[in-house]
Amino acid sequence: MANTSTPIPSRKTSLGWLFKMALRDSRKNRSRLFLFVSSIILGIAALVAIYSFGYNLRNDINNQAATLIGADLVISGNKPVEKNIQPLLDSLGTERSQERSFGSMVLFTQSGNTRLVQIRALQGGYPYYGALETVPAQAAQQFKAGQYTLVDEALMLQYKAKVNDSLKIGNLTFIIAGALKQAPGQTGLAAGVAPVVYIPLQYLNKTGLVDKGSRINYSFYYKFDQDTDVDKLAEKLDTRLDKADLHYETIQTRKENTGRAFTDLNRFLSLVGFVALLLGCIGVASSTQIYVREKVASIAVLRCLGVKAFEAFLIYLIQIAGIGLIGSIIGAALGSAVQYLLPIVLKDFLPFEITVAISWLALGQGVVLGVIISILFALLSLISIRRISPLNTLRSAFEDSRPARDPLRWLVYGLIVAFIVLFAYIQLQSWPASAGFTVALLVAFFILWITALLLKRVVKLLVQGPWSYLVRQGFANLYRPNNQTTILMASIGLSTAFICLLVFMQSMLINQVKLSSSGNQPNLVLFDIQTNQEKGIVALTKQFKMPVLQQVPIVTMRLQTINGKSVNDYRKDTSRNSRRWAFGGEYRVSYRDSLTSSEKIIEGKWIGEARDATDIPVSLDDRTAKRLDIKLGDKLVFNVQGTPMTTVVASVRKVNWNQMGTNFRVLFPTGVLEEAPQFHVLLTHSKSAGQSAQYQEAVVRKYANVSAVDLGLVLTVLDEVLDKISYVIRFMSGFSIATGLIVLIASVRISKYQRIKESVLLRTLGGSRKQILWITAMEYLFLGTLSALTGIVLALAGSWMLAKYTFEIPYNVNYAPAIMMFTITAVLTIVIGLLNSRGVLNRPPLEILRSDI
Amino acid sequence: MIQHHLKKILTLAAMAALVACSDSNTKSTDADTAKSAEQNVPNQSAPVKTVLVFGDSLTAGYGLEDPEDDAYPSVLQQKIKEANLPYNVVNGGNSGETSAGGLSRIDWVLKRKVDVFVLELGANDGLRGVPVKTTTQNLQAIIDKVKDKYPDAKLVICGMQMPPSMGAAYTADYKAMFPKLAEKNHMALVPFLLENVGGIAKLNQADGIHPTKEGAKIVANNVWKVLKDVL
Repeated sequence: MANTSTPIPSRKTSLGWLFKMALRDSRKNRSRLFLFVSSIILGIAALVAIYSFGYNLRNDINNQAATLIGADLVISGNKPVEKNIQPLLDSLGTERSQERSFGSMVLFTQSGNTRLVQIRALQGGYPYYGALETVPAQAAQQFKAGQYTLVDEALMLQYKAKVNDSLKIGNLTFIIAGALKQAPGQTGLAAGVAPVVYIPLQYLNKTGLVDKGSRINYSFYYKFDQDTDVDKLAEKLDTRLDKADLHYETIQTRKENTGRAFTDLNRFLSLVGFVALLLGCIGVASSTQIYVREKVASIAVLRCLGVKAFEAFLIYLIQIAGIGLIGSIIGAALGSAVQYLLPIVLKDFLPFEITVAISWLALGQGVVLGVIISILFALLSLISIRRISPLNTLRSAFEDSRPARDPLRWLVYGLIVAFIVLFAYIQLQSWPASAGFTVALLVAFFILWITALLLKRVVKLLVQGPWSYLVRQGFANLYRPNNQTTILMASIGLSTAFICLLVFMQSMLINQVKLSSSGNQPNLVLFDIQTNQEKGIVALTKQFKMPVLQQVPIVTMRLQTINGKSVNDYRKDTSRNSRRWAFGGEYRVSYRDSLTSSEKIIEGKWIGEARDATDIPVSLDDRTAKRLDIKLGDKLVFNVQGTPMTTVVASVRKVNWNQMGTNFRVLFPTGVLEEAPQFHVLLTHSKSAGQSAQYQEAVVRKYANVSAVDLGLVLTVLDEVLDKISYVIRFMSGFSIATGLIVLIASVRISKYQRIKESVLLRTLGGSRKQILWITAMEYLFLGTLSALTGIVLALAGSWMLAKYTFEIPYNVNYAPAIMMFTITAVLTIVIGLLNSRGVLNRPPLEILRSDI
Repeated sequence: MIQHHLKKILTLAAMAALVACSDSNTKSTDADTAKSAEQNVPNQSAPVKTVLVFGDSLTAGYGLEDPEDDAYPSVLQQKIKEANLPYNVVNGGNSGETSAGGLSRIDWVLKRKVDVFVLELGANDGLRGVPVKTTTQNLQAIIDKVKDKYPDAKLVICGMQMPPSMGAAYTADYKAMFPKLAEKNHMALVPFLLENVGGIAKLNQADGIHPTKEGAKIVANNVWKVLKDVL
């Protein structure tokens, strides 16, 4: 870089001198410097605060997830444990519990009623996460001390049993110590079917229920040290466990099975992290850009005095790195401090305790990011500064001195992009995702840049004589030399876009979480309802003012031939062996005239009613169709309890198997299976254990064969987790939006000095306060509205893409917050713009001219 | 997660249905899949009679790789063939079915002529804790329907037992239900369908409920001991 043209006798550049110069130069106007630093501070503070909250809340949610399973590791099987594996089971973990569970008929001695329950005979300190919640509370611990039992609350209500009543289990009579309101779930096959009754394991043998032929589930619960990687350990054990017919579950596997709420939350937190990163960048980048630009004059002066180009370059690079470092450190400290402050301020609103801890990872990321981004963005301007010639001083320093584009710029652009990809990767943990986000960001930036460019052009064309001077002057500021259109468009537009994006995504995700929390979801399932009982049960449900959420007929059938070929044909034809399995199992099929919200036709046409056509038009789900290699128009013959039915595949459906409810691989139209043997399943929702108990009692009294499954106990735990997840989503987006606004304010605020000189000149020339105010207002009004609008449009597009491709949820945007954000951004921009020129307006021109501005 | 549970439960419903026993339709109705060999037999030799095994998953051969061949009704078919008897076995098993489900289904299945009716239902009732009284009523109603429609049909009932973990009182009542029904309706009784199979780990699938291929052979033997005399 030293190859500048001035043939000055070579002089050694001392590093010390460069640092000294950097420091001296910064002294010139500390208050102005502070303004620039403040933007860096706020940007980094936002980033650090959001990251720290993100890390801590993620931990909180993980801990909450642990309550779903109650231990770090659960190993279970349905046979007594073989001797060779027992030592292994006894060696795992730091704390161990074990449980035997099985269905059994128990007798409520007081009322004389018999009922199927799920007995869980427990020994040890399980659950290690969460608790058995009982009324009275101490029963959860005390029942282990004697011949006591804990009984599902709804069950107690149903049989009008009270604490201290007795319950006969096998040959033993237990005293009911408490009603069970909540227990970590076991989703094994045995769970769910019957209400839970806990007894101490030491009494199990005496009940006489464990004997040859008894069907007992054996579970072993383990707690590990915090730093044990349980998933890894479990994977290692898998083969051995498998050999012993045991299987395991960890918190992680449970989360994966729990549906999408956890994944959605993780993705949302990543998104927030990415937004925070960009907010940090905006804060830092916009301030360094403006700062360096203002230094052009000083650099030219230095050059006149004999400072080499690369020396000038280094002086300012050092200076900016220093400013970036100081700003970032203060910002990181502030961001961490906010974490401690906020929970105190919001104490009354927080539904649960937020863990507060300094996240060194967040702090480190904040500081590194602050320094690197300030250097990179400074470089962008500084490399062109290498070419500033001393002559610049002599000419008007107000002139835009823009030397020919330096090819090095592209290198710097590349570095910036690479850097953002890298940091995005740290947040998102996926290269394609971070590349995607970066590309989206570049596109957004490009659109804003184009908009700014167009704006300048259009305004230049539009501004004409007949307009009032004030309007012309205000608009002209947008394109005249020393304009700030591009930089403000970019920072205001991007901040608005991110804020809106969070607003949109947040409401969509909250809807999603709400959908899966039990409020609107079935928590009571009745099955084996016979056709002649269906009407009665629906009426009964309505009588209890409970909703019939789903009511489906299920017909069992077998597949007999595919396009005329039976299993025997396929057996001979080894090449198409994959189809053989299709004939093995029974198909549970339903019929209806329309699709549900969880289904979408991807091929063919849905036919909801079988006309007189010989072949019945059926619909297959895409996975089944793919596995069976079945195409539209293929003929399948189903054997419905002895009656063959020829069907033709009329459509292929995509089924969202995650959505709550019943889904089917094969769906028939109405008008065919009505008479076929079938049973019905009804899904409903009860508001309380009491309601559920009364309802079940009424159903069973009238229809003894109908089985009711009450998911209430399990769902209570789940609901708590989902509540927290939705709260975390709201909190994080609210907090990011607030910090986004602050960063936005800061980035508009740093434009303060851009206009001061002009305003002073105008004042000197006789401009009134009002005129200057108007001119400024005009400029910022235009900038504010246009960039806010562009930002919102970008956010709409971005949220659509996120909804469709990342979260895979229905896109549905509430425009009210968008309009609100538009107004807020526009008003904020104008207000800050006006505040920026307040100093000039309130003082006489001469005072301002004299003082160093 | 809810979904998860629901799925489990539905599976469970399915399983429950499966649990039951029987001989059902899988092979059933000869029409279809049933082994062509057997079907041909009837066609060649003059009058072919039908054995309907009406039951749940035990009959349907739930979980077997090849229920067409391996479920116990199929094994019975082989035995019949070996004995050179003019019977075609129809598998009327429906996984997850309870006695109430069977009662709803019986009319549909009885559309075809039945000469020997083997009833294997009630296992799912027991596992779900349905009161023995209810199960008895339903099974009786099924038997009545068969008698009504085919008064000449020979009747067989398969006894079932509940694991001791269900509690002594219930298991005793439950076990007693089948001999009572057999006596009342003059049916041949298979004392315990899963004799020498139930509770023996290696003869059952991983769920501990449904017999393996080997288990199904023993089950077929249990039934055959009674059925051969009926035929």
